Amino acid sequence: MTTSTTGSVAASGAATRTIVTGSASGIRLRRPGSRNREQLVSWAFLAPFLVAFALFLIWPIVHGIYLSFTDQSLTGAGGGFVGFANYGEALTDPVMWQSMWNTVWFTLLSTVPLVVIALLMAALVDRGLPGQWLWRLSFFMPYLLASTVISQIWVWIFNPQIGAANNILKAFGLEPLAWLQNPDTNMLSIVIATVWWTVGFNFLLYLAAMQNIPSQQYEAASLDGAGPWRQFWSITLPQLGPATVLILILQILASLKLFDQAYQMLGGVASDTTRSIVQYIYEAGFVNYRFGYSAAISYVFFALIVIIGVAQALVSRRRKEL
Amino acid sequence: MSTATLSQTETITAPGARRRRPHLPGQKPFGPLRVAAFAVLALLAIGWLLPFLWAIATAFKTETDAASGDPSWIGATGPTVEAFAAILSQGNVYTWAFNSLWTSAAVTLITLAISALAAYAFSRLNFTGRKWLFVVVIASIIVPPQVLIIPLFYQMLTFNMIDTYWGLILPQVVVPAMVFILKKFFDAIPIELEDAARVDGASRFRIFWSIVLPLSRPILASVAIFVFIGAWNNFLWPFLVINDTTLMTLPVGLQTVISAYGVQYAQVMAQAVLAALPLIIVFIIFQKQIVKGVATSGFGGQ
Amino acid sequence: MTPPLDLSRRQFLTASSLAAGAALLAGCAPGQVSASDTQTLQFWHLLSGGDGVTMSSLLDGVNGAQDAYRIRPTVLAWGTPYYTKLAMAGAGGRAPDVAIMHATRVNGWAPGGLLDDWDLDRLADLGVDKSTFPAPIWEKGFVGDRLFSVALDAHPFVMMFNTDVCDAAGVLDTDGRLRETTSPEEFLDQLRTVGGAASGHALSYGYLGDGAQMWRLFYGLYAQHGLAMELPLGGKAVIDKDAAVESLTFMQTLLDGEIAAAQNDYGSAIAEFATGKSGMLFTGVWELRTMQNAGIPFDAAMFPTLYGTPAVYADSHSFVLPHQTNADETKRELTYQFVADLLKGSIGWAEAGHIPAYLPVTESPEYADLIPQAHYAEAAEHVVYDPTAWFTGSGSSFQEDFGAAVQGVLLSGDDPAAAIDRFEARANTMLAQPNPADPEGTWKP
Repeated sequence: MTTSTTGSVAASGAATRTIVTGSASGIRLRRPGSRNREQLVSWAFLAPFLVAFALFLIWPIVHGIYLSFTDQSLTGAGGGFVGFANYGEALTDPVMWQSMWNTVWFTLLSTVPLVVIALLMAALVDRGLPGQWLWRLSFFMPYLLASTVISQIWVWIFNPQIGAANNILKAFGLEPLAWLQNPDTNMLSIVIATVWWTVGFNFLLYLAAMQNIPSQQYEAASLDGAGPWRQFWSITLPQLGPATVLILILQILASLKLFDQAYQMLGGVASDTTRSIVQYIYEAGFVNYRFGYSAAISYVFFALIVIIGVAQALVSRRRKEL
Repeated sequence: MSTATLSQTETITAPGARRRRPHLPGQKPFGPLRVAAFAVLALLAIGWLLPFLWAIATAFKTETDAASGDPSWIGATGPTVEAFAAILSQGNVYTWAFNSLWTSAAVTLITLAISALAAYAFSRLNFTGRKWLFVVVIASIIVPPQVLIIPLFYQMLTFNMIDTYWGLILPQVVVPAMVFILKKFFDAIPIELEDAARVDGASRFRIFWSIVLPLSRPILASVAIFVFIGAWNNFLWPFLVINDTTLMTLPVGLQTVISAYGVQYAQVMAQAVLAALPLIIVFIIFQKQIVKGVATSGFGGQ
Repeated sequence: MTPPLDLSRRQFLTASSLAAGAALLAGCAPGQVSASDTQTLQFWHLLSGGDGVTMSSLLDGVNGAQDAYRIRPTVLAWGTPYYTKLAMAGAGGRAPDVAIMHATRVNGWAPGGLLDDWDLDRLADLGVDKSTFPAPIWEKGFVGDRLFSVALDAHPFVMMFNTDVCDAAGVLDTDGRLRETTSPEEFLDQLRTVGGAASGHALSYGYLGDGAQMWRLFYGLYAQHGLAMELPLGGKAVIDKDAAVESLTFMQTLLDGEIAAAQNDYGSAIAEFATGKSGMLFTGVWELRTMQNAGIPFDAAMFPTLYGTPAVYADSHSFVLPHQTNADETKRELTYQFVADLLKGSIGWAEAGHIPAYLPVTESPEYADLIPQAHYAEAAEHVVYDPTAWFTGSGSSFQEDFGAAVQGVLLSGDDPAAAIDRFEARANTMLAQPNPADPEGTWKP
């Protein structure tokens, strides 16, 4: 079989299959009889990932569905089929709904500051003021800390007797609060810690989007006499639409999966106002030993995530079409 | 280019976008608005640094000073390293840090390897079921790992892998989002480079190893860094699968094991500061990649 | 079109040298001292604070006195997280060699196969048997015919009082003991008198965010009505509403901001009493060490009987054998020896305030000399444990559920009757469920 070095290569990305003869053509080079070999090679490349994928993602999903129809216990006992009893119980369980609501409430409470503050930070940093590395470090560094670390820092700050937060309140002559112990304020405290922790991520996304906006637009506006505020409203903000959509999608999906800091800041014992749905899944399975029931709650939650994810994908697509 | 539509992983940094915006024509460098902006920025930055600085300050106090509720930055008895000394002499922190390092590195290497291989197959190779398999992999990105904790734990129970390193590492190596990201990157590499080698008779793996991978260093570095950070900071799965305190990772150990002496505020803060250090160092070294990775691909969003 | 190499050589070198440095540091960590034949036994417990210090020194003593085994303790946070972790370790089959559990929790666990039972003969050979324990405490360790827990102590809820403050208030009698009160009104009067002499509140009682603390005080008061709450599996909770509401209302009265601070959590109540600011403290005996170390002049007494029947809430710290799939026989043998050694040496545990369960210790002259322990030793005869059910016991969600139901009453003045109803509803919900450790009831006791 003769082969030749490629002369000109078709520029399109089309996957044309041609067998090389004397002259080069097409994108994909084939030797006769290599179809099968390509299959084998493909599977060889894919195998490690697929094995892990099947073992640690597909199989658990399937097995989890099965478990949700049993009364399997953590201890190994149980395991008999109970039909839809778990799902029925989950959908009528007030703690399940409360946990769902707590999670949604957390998402609502935290999303607004996480977007607005990030926007403010990015807008300020985008001005080009000196000290760029310092701003980036201050705002983004918390994002790299483990959840345990931030939880312990904030538990310390929120300590009702000797914590910094109440010291500040007392300095202003205000009543100290039982931040994490009082059901009226404990979710808020978790939100505060979360905003501190994760705003840096949104900040970077906004900053990148802002830096994407060509200077010429600002220069042109400036020549037309527009001040910095006007420029921000008319040039910057409108072009942040896509970034905002991205941030919102990521933010909402991440918030719905709340567990770490809510669990840690309350020392592992949830209050009715802080128990997230993931924490309830954890409690049902590992504290109360009910694997079957916990699996059922997991899939109710999973359904919610899928619905929200699909809804957001549709919204995204509509935006693209507009 | 600035109206580029976005999906989770499309780039939003246009080539040539400037990093630093000089002051605009007609605007005085030290004008009142600029000064005001600087002041607000500085205040925000200080506000954002304060919690961590406060933790550090507490860590350098004596236990009595810390427990007294004194709001000053330096305790009445003056700064001391006794909290750090106490934590470090217990030995747990070393063990946990080592566990974190070893398991995070293992997760990173394995994830990188299998994801790159799979991504290459999706990008360059033809095989039956390619399309729908890719769709399945992409669709699985939406599956929240939290939903799988029960069946995964059950699986580890069955295979007797609770309280083992591999029980900790293996479920974490499946990151379909990385396969997607790597595939996109590979797609953008011009096919001519590989064709030349194929014509010379090189095997697919050879091409992958000697041509594609070296060209992909930046994306591989980004993926590696983010997978490493994710694995290091991961709490839920390590918390569930590891009960043996000598096998715990740093975040889990910090949360689970307490002092026999009750709450020792300075020591808790010292431990937290020590635990924060490794990734802060990682950030300082890899700042560019991390910032770029977040900005361009929404890395670390979940 | 080759993308620029983003990872600079400098970055790579820095990263690798740091990684190498970290690995080196890990190697420098204090490793495990292992004499050639000394077996290391993993021991989990949930004792911290004053108790933690005492247990640590008891373990040091045990470790130092022999070579056959060395105890490696791990302390986990008290409460639900401890039990969850222990259960998961037991389920995984790689649990610690020996652990402490509250006696009231064992009943819910045993059916799950998470515990191995104790061999009565082996224990008897080491001097640990029925005759060496008070009957109710020994019995509590059984589920059916099998012994699942061996008690180290009984630790009741007591009243500590600052002798100087109470003396100034004139509520002490001639031998320095607190004057007895036999009704709620009498007790409240006594408290108000003490409050006059104290620089802070009359009473320190920490309850905020702490269901266990709320339950301890409540259930003692409830039991003093001569009642015991019943929780029959598959049935309905038996709660005397009047007594319950009366007890809860009494607690509410205490927390008026005058007699006791309106919102104290556990730690700040301890601190308030330990710094001499208050006259009395409601707490468990486990805080005795803390108070002795604080150097204040204090004494302790059994919780006053306000409703007729002497009763105090208590639980026991007991040794259990977490299930192991491949139990190492040598280690098992040594574990038995460890438990016997610790029981025999538990006078040190008495020094921490607990009433040792091991009779040879409590009947010894050294124990009789311990003050203030001797002043409340009678409590051991009037202890009430949590009502028996799979979901009750120290650190259980039962106590937390109680806290969630009634905290509003104590913190914000909510209606006690409504809170008791909420609590009852929750108990009934739990009763309707099978023991999740054994949902199909397959375990045979």
